Amino acid sequence: MTTKYSVRLAQTLLIYCVLASFTGANEFVRNATFEDTFANDNIDEARVQTFLETYCVKCHGSDQQKGNISLNTIGRDTTFKQEIEVWESVLEILESGEMPPSSEVQPKSSERQIVISWIETQLRKSSHSAKVVHRKSVTRRLTNIEYQNTLRDLFGFELEIIDKLPKDPTKPYQFNNTPELMLIGPEQIDRYLEIARQVLASAIVDPQEPVVHKTRREWLRHGLDRGLALDEIGVYGNRRHSVSQGFSLKSFPKTGDFRIRVRASAILPPGHQMVPLRLIMGNDIQINSSTRETREVGVVQLANTPDSPRTIEFTGRIENFPPLPGKMVNEKQQPARMTITPQNIFDDGSLNDRYSYGNLRNIDLPRIVIEWMEFESPITDKWPPDHHTSILFESPLQSDDLNAYVNQVIKRFMTRAYRRPVDPEEVEIFFQIYEQVKSEFSTLEGAMRETLAMVLISPQFLYHTETERAPDDHYAIASRLSYFLWASMPDEELLDLAEKQQLNDPAVIEKQVLRLLGDERAESFIRNFTMQWLNLEKMKTVPINRDRFPRFLYYVSAGERAGTEMPYLPTVRDYLLEETVAFVGELIRRNASVLNIVDSDFAMLNQRLASHYGTKKIQGTHFRAVPLSPEDNLGGLLTHGSVLIGNGTGTAAHPIYRAVWLREAILGDEVPEPPAEVPALSDSAGESADRAFTIAELLAQHRNVESCNDCHFRLDPWGIPFEQYNAIGQFRPMVPSEGIRVSVFDKSKHEDMAGYQNYLDSINVNSLSSEATLPNQATVSGVRGLKKHLLSNYADSIVRNITRRLLSYGMGEPLDHHDWVTLESIMEQTEAGGHRLRDIIIAICKSDSFTANSN
Amino acid sequence: MASKSWQIKRREVLKGAGIALGLPSLEAMTIKRAGASLSPKNPPKRMMIGYIAYGTYMPDGQSGVRSKTHPIDQHPEWSWWPCSQPGELTFNKSSEPFKDLKNYVSYLRGLDHKGGWKMGGHSSGDVFATGADMTETEKTNNISIDQVAANLHGHETRYRSLVLGTEGGTGSYGSSKTLSHRGPGRPIPSMHKPQEIFNRLFDPYSGKGIEQVRATLKREASILDLLLEHSKSFHRKLGRQDQEKMDEYLESVRSIEKRVERTSQWTHEPLPVMDTKGLNLDVAYKEPKEYIRCMYDLIYLAFVTDSTRYATLMLESEQSSTSEMWNYATYVLGYKGATHDIAHKRPEDYSGQWDRWRAEQHAYFLRRLRDTSEGDGNMLDHTVVLWGSAHPHASHSTRNYPIHLAGGNRLGFKHGRLHEFIGDKKVPLANLFVSMLNAIDVPVAQFADSTGSMSELMKG
Repeated sequence: MTTKYSVRLAQTLLIYCVLASFTGANEFVRNATFEDTFANDNIDEARVQTFLETYCVKCHGSDQQKGNISLNTIGRDTTFKQEIEVWESVLEILESGEMPPSSEVQPKSSERQIVISWIETQLRKSSHSAKVVHRKSVTRRLTNIEYQNTLRDLFGFELEIIDKLPKDPTKPYQFNNTPELMLIGPEQIDRYLEIARQVLASAIVDPQEPVVHKTRREWLRHGLDRGLALDEIGVYGNRRHSVSQGFSLKSFPKTGDFRIRVRASAILPPGHQMVPLRLIMGNDIQINSSTRETREVGVVQLANTPDSPRTIEFTGRIENFPPLPGKMVNEKQQPARMTITPQNIFDDGSLNDRYSYGNLRNIDLPRIVIEWMEFESPITDKWPPDHHTSILFESPLQSDDLNAYVNQVIKRFMTRAYRRPVDPEEVEIFFQIYEQVKSEFSTLEGAMRETLAMVLISPQFLYHTETERAPDDHYAIASRLSYFLWASMPDEELLDLAEKQQLNDPAVIEKQVLRLLGDERAESFIRNFTMQWLNLEKMKTVPINRDRFPRFLYYVSAGERAGTEMPYLPTVRDYLLEETVAFVGELIRRNASVLNIVDSDFAMLNQRLASHYGTKKIQGTHFRAVPLSPEDNLGGLLTHGSVLIGNGTGTAAHPIYRAVWLREAILGDEVPEPPAEVPALSDSAGESADRAFTIAELLAQHRNVESCNDCHFRLDPWGIPFEQYNAIGQFRPMVPSEGIRVSVFDKSKHEDMAGYQNYLDSINVNSLSSEATLPNQATVSGVRGLKKHLLSNYADSIVRNITRRLLSYGMGEPLDHHDWVTLESIMEQTEAGGHRLRDIIIAICKSDSFTANSN
Repeated sequence: MASKSWQIKRREVLKGAGIALGLPSLEAMTIKRAGASLSPKNPPKRMMIGYIAYGTYMPDGQSGVRSKTHPIDQHPEWSWWPCSQPGELTFNKSSEPFKDLKNYVSYLRGLDHKGGWKMGGHSSGDVFATGADMTETEKTNNISIDQVAANLHGHETRYRSLVLGTEGGTGSYGSSKTLSHRGPGRPIPSMHKPQEIFNRLFDPYSGKGIEQVRATLKREASILDLLLEHSKSFHRKLGRQDQEKMDEYLESVRSIEKRVERTSQWTHEPLPVMDTKGLNLDVAYKEPKEYIRCMYDLIYLAFVTDSTRYATLMLESEQSSTSEMWNYATYVLGYKGATHDIAHKRPEDYSGQWDRWRAEQHAYFLRRLRDTSEGDGNMLDHTVVLWGSAHPHASHSTRNYPIHLAGGNRLGFKHGRLHEFIGDKKVPLANLFVSMLNAIDVPVAQFADSTGSMSELMKG
């Protein structure tokens, strides 16, 4: 069942509007008895019928069923059930004031109000009665992210295994943690088994202490004033054999924790307070190959000078880093290689415009000095490591009664893997498995690895399930809380509370929600939720027009790969995504009002982004809240580069994509895909910068094709205010005069980006038209005007939308009318506080929908 | 193990073919045929299905059939259709890559799946190989023809089928990333990483000894049996809807269990010996030609070693905005814009070149098959290859697909013509599916909305 009520709504609206253009208002004959009917306090269905007959059925009746909505027979189902979605649409459309269309005779607001409250009452009644009905199926497999996180928390170390699983399906603006999308097939089981064996091979170590692999390298101390030295990493083209080339490991183990220690400091020219050091490990990197695999070990900001070097420690799991496989030399297999490369990722946004620095030299920019680096793996500070002893625990049983010990080991492991207590019969199955495998393995370790791997492919581990246990299954609540707020399994504290049957106590839940949100594991929830809610993923693949935005991304300047995007470095695009995730995280952390997503007095930025947006200058790659002033033209989500790029063409703004985004992500409407047989329009910018369509041309095209007009003239206006922001998300409200051809960046003409900007400023002399008449007839100008209008007219829809999305994500299922009361009640509860995000999450977790069991 | 004479012969033939053609990525590769119970007199019958997205360029008729107003004697050189009239093929710029394959290819105009008609303008690719009626009676899609064949003959090879794509996974309803489905609600995730595909095909035991593998498989079978029992008792504790969901799991484990048995039998057959020299398995999207050819090569290798007989390859999808495929045409043609824009704007130069590029890659695959002799003929004679899109020129349209059929000349197909199925001659695309299945010894009389088979393409 679809959750989004507004599909039909959207269609309904269109149809009204379309019809309105054909029928004059004077054709409308007003029903004389109407007002009299409504003067009566005693509202009943008949009066609502009269309202519908008067204002609606002309377009949505037996003659015409615009938008597939027909209201002439509605209300005949006295139980309300069959028609619930239609009523929800009608309710929403009446509340928004968008129907009937402005060209038609309008009901009085009192009439409107009466019908609204009647529908609300009916919905509430229906929702209450639905409570006794069974809840929907909740059984679904873990998403790939949940699966990886669960393994991490089960074993106590993280292996990055998502790439080994078939990709999870996604749907734009929808969460994928639903039974509909989380299917399982033999391919999944197959990979789960491989991964289970791999992770157990790492988790349970062999009894003998391992060989520790150590590599250390020093670079000669050089001094400050003699140009770039071998112990230094500059921003640009570094010297061969210098520390910037990294150092390769002599040897490394296949599994285990590693520790890298780096003795580092910074040479900071005046005006620079810090420089970011990033460590990557994997293949050695070559500019002429973009496919060498490496992964980030970590990033730190260095502010200490060479006379006070710091020792920085990085840790991780060696399994997560990709070695370069050894070659065959004279039919002999050479060992795999691995390189650690330190990088100077200082970026103030002008690095790829060398000319802006004149005769630019590395020594004018922050440098990193590295005295030595050392690598060690596995770490044997404690042996066997915790991840081993938490499974194969120390016990005299092991020698006294091996079978009893194995039984204990299995039971303990299963209890955690299943996120609930296990029955002796359940343990018995795996004991039998142990009996079968032990003869093949010479050691207990080997046999346990295989036995426990099988636990990890049982449905109780792989699925979110609820069996018909106690009516209030506290373990189910523990899992629901942790998979909502951590995208992972419950920890000991939650499971303890479940055991003590305390997880139906609202005070306990509130405390736990605060604790979970305060934990770093909540990052996974925030990222997952934000990416899917805002449909951000696609911003990574929008082809940025390099002629138009020559200095947005970094490109390789020479060699076979000249002109391709610079590999191995974090880009402004990565930072723009992080900004959005960090912003939502910050709103939750501050317990700020939901409406901050429309406008806020701060942005989450780092140095590169501050330069991208042109706000006050800051330093470092780390994100922090930066207060905004009105002339920054930022605040809220609408102006995030991630959103604007993802909903542009890479060359130009795209008002339709942006309108769809606004209506889906912020207002909570569902905008249907273009239906089959609607002609595709050349609506997007294409081969060259100067052939991009103007918005006027675009809208004209839509108006001229009736099948387009049906949908688009309600849609397009929402995108027009966004025209002030260009395809890479910068505020650029000025445009050239009609007919002027904008020349692309040309070194010989413009010299540098400042020169190009001067040129653009000289031709961009007209204010761009960003004024739009919205479907509710309000006129707004620019994003600032749009934001103001949204806050004063759509605050309720926006709050409902975010609340609904959080509730739906939290429950792992699309909502239906059963959840209507819950939604309303959460909104009522959080209203007094101004709909603060964390309060909403707490209210969700305390709600009946969330805590109730399926039985 | 001593090689049988035909193995040696085959190996030499393959080597010879490779060198003679100077194929760049495989010239140094040697292949030894697995000891499948085949004789050169009785070559395996194979099927491959490839899908391209966004439709193709057809200025002579945007709806997928020739427009009445288009002058009959002027066939556009960049139209995807090689010639204007039904009959013997002549080739234009777009179809030129197939010129030397003339007697192996047919173009079919006017075919489509009724089940896709009402799907959104970006979604009918979901049913390309299934013909399911996803808007009405089969909302979770249905079995694809490669799986119909695999269900019947899949046990005859080491792998029942090979499911590839460029984006990987299953995708979701309305934006599928795979062509293959076991049945309703059972999409098969496509594999998209060459190295992983290669390993799964040719190094499934990760270098372990056969005895060890066999012991492991034997153990696995009995463990899975126990696990299945365990899961069944759990299953009974669930509500009805949850039970249905859990059936997916039980089926999957059962199929793994069966596969363990199958694999166990196959461990008696040596794996084909593969030398990967010359095969670039690290290749990725930014080198589209190498990547696509690598995917085609992997299918070729799976076929030539008789590791499987049925393969699907989702070369593109309409819903790729979150993958690098979105920029595919940029990497190939230097087109500044998303690949999807080509379908919207249909600029003649880029649109035509894009189609031709896709044709070149497909022709490369067909030629590899044609140039490998097998039995009395070549591999293409024994492989039927379907290639096309679920949209015509008007990319939101879900009717009159561009359809290209190749090979199977010794399975009863005759080629070299453009066929038109319009007006009162219109038949479902599923009719072709019935003929394809029958040709590879899958005796079905009906599939999806089929109303018969396609005698026009069959030798009399």
